[in-house]
Amino acid sequence: MIKTGTFVVPGVFLSTVEEFMPGEGAYEENGKVYSSCAGLVLVDLRTRRISVFPAAAPPILKRGDTIIGEVEEVTPQRADVSIEILHGHEGRELPPPRVGTIHVSHTSKSYVRDATKKFRVGDVVRARVLNVGRELVQLSTEGEDLGVIFTKCSRCSTPLEVENQRTGKLKCPICEKVEFRKLARDYRKGVLWGE
Amino acid sequence: MERPERLIVDGRRLDGRRPDELRPLQIKAGVLKRADGSAYVELGKNKVLVAVYGPKEMHPRHLQQSDVAVLRCRYNMAPFSVEERKRPGPDRRSIEISKVVREALEPVLFLHLYPRAAIDVFIEILQADAGTRTTGITAAAVALADAGIPMRDLVAGISVGKADGTVLLDLMKEEDQWGEADMPIAVMPRRKLVTLLQMDGNFTPDEFRQALDLAFKGIERVYEAQKRALREKYVPASEEER
Repeated sequence: MIKTGTFVVPGVFLSTVEEFMPGEGAYEENGKVYSSCAGLVLVDLRTRRISVFPAAAPPILKRGDTIIGEVEEVTPQRADVSIEILHGHEGRELPPPRVGTIHVSHTSKSYVRDATKKFRVGDVVRARVLNVGRELVQLSTEGEDLGVIFTKCSRCSTPLEVENQRTGKLKCPICEKVEFRKLARDYRKGVLWGE
Repeated sequence: MERPERLIVDGRRLDGRRPDELRPLQIKAGVLKRADGSAYVELGKNKVLVAVYGPKEMHPRHLQQSDVAVLRCRYNMAPFSVEERKRPGPDRRSIEISKVVREALEPVLFLHLYPRAAIDVFIEILQADAGTRTTGITAAAVALADAGIPMRDLVAGISVGKADGTVLLDLMKEEDQWGEADMPIAVMPRRKLVTLLQMDGNFTPDEFRQALDLAFKGIERVYEAQKRALREKYVPASEEER
């Protein structure tokens, strides 16, 4: 039997399906389990799964991941976000589908009646992945570290400055327009992932 | 260059190989920092560099496939890769080779895992000495594995042919140019499935079978080198000593 820690290339026979189920980096064909990537084998006797862990692989969204995206559309119920980068995989593009949605109820810890009062098209947001099982990825900006990290004035496109961090009040330094957002703690600090 | 009087003298070829011998083969995985996956292969005087990108969002959007990823291959020869300067850019030959290379690689990829995505494979021929399409496939398979893209198997390519009436493995330029047949083959080495088979010239049915056997022997050698290259990249040297 193949041992944990063995190096395999794609297509190497690992076991039969009667012994083990294919985990990550493995696939089943005609009752046999083969590796689907080059990496090290992990045999899990408890869950009866064989997985292969490659040094690099295309990024995949998982529950609990942190992402940065751009708001594409906002309705009172939700904000749709195009997911641009995944924490820990900055160097590699995320394969599609790359759209997520923040429901009003996941905007902030406190009660939010209208998501259009917290986001605007073009905002750069940091969010956490709640669920990837469904068609649309569910995101959340609840918590101090999450929320808008960059936004521009809707009248003159100047980057907005914080007036009040707690209420999310922003003010345009040029035209003095006042707007509101769900702000991350490090708004406009130029930090991708916070502390 | 003029044709030598004989391509095979006393069972030895012009470079001293026997008919069933490969040119020196060297494969390195992960040679490019900015590509998602890459490989560099030297087979005799052939030098091939491959970069793989993706799976990433497919642009233009109208070429997206809603159920599978699209594999795009570009085989490209450097202007300095051949004796006479090659006019840069795609020509009839490299467009065809790009297509057959794509079709040789497609069967090993799990394209349905990445709907609406594109996987790009760039095969750059830096120096050519016959058998560049098969060398390109060998390198592309290593680069795809280096990128961590899920695959059913690797793909290894080699050419077989005939010169001076002898069936030969891994033709070099002189044998390709003045020989009687050239047959590039790509195989999934674990399953022994052929993904590319082209032929230029003539074989008798017997010679064809002999050539095919020879090719499969060569494929084994290529596959071993591919495995070694991937292992070198993935297993740190300190662990390998154990």
